[in-house]
Amino acid sequence: MKVRAAIAAAVLAVTLAIPANALAYRTWFEFARQSNIASTLTMVWQYGAGYNGTQTWRAGSGVSTDACWIGHGWLPTGYYDLWGHWDNFSGKIAGRVFYLQNKPCWNGTWRTELFVHSEETAGQGQYCPTAGDDPYCWEGVYDYQSNGCIKVSRAGYPSDLRLVHDGWHGKSADYRHGYFTINNWLYVRDG
Amino acid sequence: MKRVFGTQAIAAAVTIVTGAAAALAIFGVFGAHGALPKTGPLNVRAGLENPPGAVVRGDGLFTGRGVRRQLGAAVSGAMIGPLSPVAVRSSDGRRVAYNTWQQLRTVDNDQSFSQQAIADGTALGTPSLRVHDDTGKDFLLARGAYSAAWRHDGAIAFVKGNDPDFRAGRSYTGQAVVRSDIHGRDAAWTSEPAHYVVYAWAGDRLLFYRVGLGEKLELLVADGPGRIRPLAEGSAIAISPDATRVAVLSQDGTSVRVLDIATGSELAWLDVTTATPSVAWLAYSGSWVGDHIVAPASSGLAVFHVGSSALELEQVLSLDHSQFPVGVQQPRFVDAAGNEIAAAADIPPAKSSGGVSFLLLCDRIARTCERGEPAPAREWLRLVDDTALAEGGH
Repeated sequence: MKVRAAIAAAVLAVTLAIPANALAYRTWFEFARQSNIASTLTMVWQYGAGYNGTQTWRAGSGVSTDACWIGHGWLPTGYYDLWGHWDNFSGKIAGRVFYLQNKPCWNGTWRTELFVHSEETAGQGQYCPTAGDDPYCWEGVYDYQSNGCIKVSRAGYPSDLRLVHDGWHGKSADYRHGYFTINNWLYVRDG
Repeated sequence: MKRVFGTQAIAAAVTIVTGAAAALAIFGVFGAHGALPKTGPLNVRAGLENPPGAVVRGDGLFTGRGVRRQLGAAVSGAMIGPLSPVAVRSSDGRRVAYNTWQQLRTVDNDQSFSQQAIADGTALGTPSLRVHDDTGKDFLLARGAYSAAWRHDGAIAFVKGNDPDFRAGRSYTGQAVVRSDIHGRDAAWTSEPAHYVVYAWAGDRLLFYRVGLGEKLELLVADGPGRIRPLAEGSAIAISPDATRVAVLSQDGTSVRVLDIATGSELAWLDVTTATPSVAWLAYSGSWVGDHIVAPASSGLAVFHVGSSALELEQVLSLDHSQFPVGVQQPRFVDAAGNEIAAAADIPPAKSSGGVSFLLLCDRIARTCERGEPAPAREWLRLVDDTALAEGGH
């Protein structure tokens, strides 16, 4: 009995001694290019050697499937480092955003200023003042289109953007914000 | 002498002859093409031997007569893509300014920077502008510079980077500058450093882009040094031949507006997704001749008729998606009537082959195109832009 109690105490001690980020899984994203408004963004977390968990969302990128078209074509294929993450970004794109490295496409054109984001305000709200397409308002399926960035839906509760954002923090246990680098955070391939 | 033909017979003959003459005249007006332009598929066949104008490819400048001239460096649109021409001819026709890219560090497109041990701040390459003149002289116009546009008086506008090198982890910011003479000094027309791309002159006004976060494009106009106005959120399809108007495209590529450049006021507007015929989207960098505009479109090409206050989608020309999966770029009218269109068509790499580029020359009345020989996409096979030669000097 004493032995059992000792083992239990030891296990408890070890458990308590494990730091909070012990459940931090190596986490990354994959974007499978299928169409500009209906591609797939998958979050992958590795919870053991050869064991991956996944969660998938609909996502979009670009207006055209020519990755060499600045401000118009979808994201070039390949691995991307993450260059930063913000919760309340304020600019032409806003709110929860993930900033990607620059990438040359197949003819050498550099694609720059690329993000994973949605359409929301810096305060993570919706601003829909007109009957038309408002930049900080998720109106519908055509909002998946972008100038090149990957976009996920901001509709519903919880929105896909929230699931991506919270999923990233929850699985990676990386709660950093601002400029920082995570190697090979995104892999873009044809789907 | 007996009359062979009666009066009625003569009248009938006159009527027939007159009718035939009228038919011939109408045929002549519309040409051998037959009739008005119709929407439909383009029939593309190989066989384009002589492009309609000068062409750049790699480190060669090919004149319309098939003569190759050696450039001082290979052309590259690495910093501009199709936003601005890779090579532009001066208004006097004697010089060609072209974009180049000096690679300082090999970059594997498929790998991330970290996989290639490319550290933050590493210099990856240097864009430069060079000029080639008709005597064969080839010289550096500016290092750390890209996107050139000649003004009618020989001045040249371009973007000059604050740091000449494009670096990993850094935005490439610079100023839009104007050099009144190619051997003169640069005068900055912008004051705030940003990621700019020069588009074209409209008379004495300079149109250029500010590329924002998420590659959102903002079209700006400079009336002179420091006198910058936002013109439109989105991109430019073409400037009118008289340089007073510009057709601009919305960010999502679904609507076109014709704007008065001097005032920014809207003269015409069209949603192309609900027009008849319709297209899913348009893209920037087209051409405007007379009262017609051509733009890249989701299906291939879209041709508009421009009225004083109206814009009409006159014709949609579709390309076989299996042959040309990403359509065409930078279409340009190459005849005064606006019936012939030249464009570049890129084919993305497949598993067994790299990306290639073709030149297409299309007759929009007959709905046929001739395709040139393929070139590796990295050689930037493109027509030399000679719109500065046109009236209006844009």
